[in-house]
Amino acid sequence: MAKTDNQPMQDDELDLFFEAARQDVAAPTDALMAAIMADAQAHMPVVDPLPAPKAQTKGVFASIWSAIGGLPAAASLATATVAGVWIGFTQPVQLETLSGGLVLAGDYVTTDTSYALEDLAPGYLGTTLFAEDEG
Amino acid sequence: MNMALDAYEGASDEALLVLYGNGDPMAAQLLTHRLAPRVLGFATRLLGGDRAEAEDVTQEAMLRLWKQAASWRSGEAQVSTWLYRVVSNLCTDRLRKRRTVDLDAAGDPEDGQPSAVENMMDVDRATALQDALNRLPDRQKVAVTLRHIEGATNPEIAQILGISVEAVESLTARGKRALAKDLAGRREELGYGED
Repeated sequence: MAKTDNQPMQDDELDLFFEAARQDVAAPTDALMAAIMADAQAHMPVVDPLPAPKAQTKGVFASIWSAIGGLPAAASLATATVAGVWIGFTQPVQLETLSGGLVLAGDYVTTDTSYALEDLAPGYLGTTLFAEDEG
Repeated sequence: MNMALDAYEGASDEALLVLYGNGDPMAAQLLTHRLAPRVLGFATRLLGGDRAEAEDVTQEAMLRLWKQAASWRSGEAQVSTWLYRVVSNLCTDRLRKRRTVDLDAAGDPEDGQPSAVENMMDVDRATALQDALNRLPDRQKVAVTLRHIEGATNPEIAQILGISVEAVESLTARGKRALAKDLAGRREELGYGED
């Protein structure tokens, strides 16, 4: 049966028109593409580059000062030096007391108590010592 | 250069726009190749087939995209959706300005403008549909074009037009009914007179 002009088109008929329209797309001309790209170049956001490293202007002493760690390192070094001088000038009685004269022998020994090796390590000379005691 | 373009091929439109915003011209090139044909096709339909004016709109819409790149808010809208909204507004403004001009005359294809469709029947169908679209109210034309030719979803169209999804459904349904009625009058002319 022939369809009359009075009958609205059905969806499947209409889809043929939409499909034809989807295919009816002319490509943009080269001139248009070039104009769009020119706009893109002209309006491309400017990104700040990373700051350039500063030129080396430090002197030799400043470089050494920096290399050893600056002020904190110098403070530590000074503290260690003062401590060394103090240990050298004062006689470390406590150290001798604890070590029984083993660490700093000779002129530096000021304690009244002195220990022989076997006092500290009775087994060091063998078992004869114990045998004598028992005997 | 082509290898670099290939490397960007899988990137989303939004990712490319961010790259462009970071000063990458290659991203702009790929975005142009992706989006300009779609924008041009959409603008041409909304402007009743006026290719020259559609090219102006396309360039203007893309220019607005480039300017937007630095302040693009990620995840807020798809780049294509944003562009369709810009094109829709630009075309609506131009159509309002030329209301006094005969729209049928504006829809005539330019002399020497080759059609992309090879099959003559498809050419006739595309032309007939364009004529019928030109007779629809602007918003119906935009909604039907986006839904049935550009392939946009109803939520996307709602975003583009700034209306609810229900309003989009109503617009497209009324637009389709009007097209079906209009095109039915050209059955004989288009060779649809008999089953």
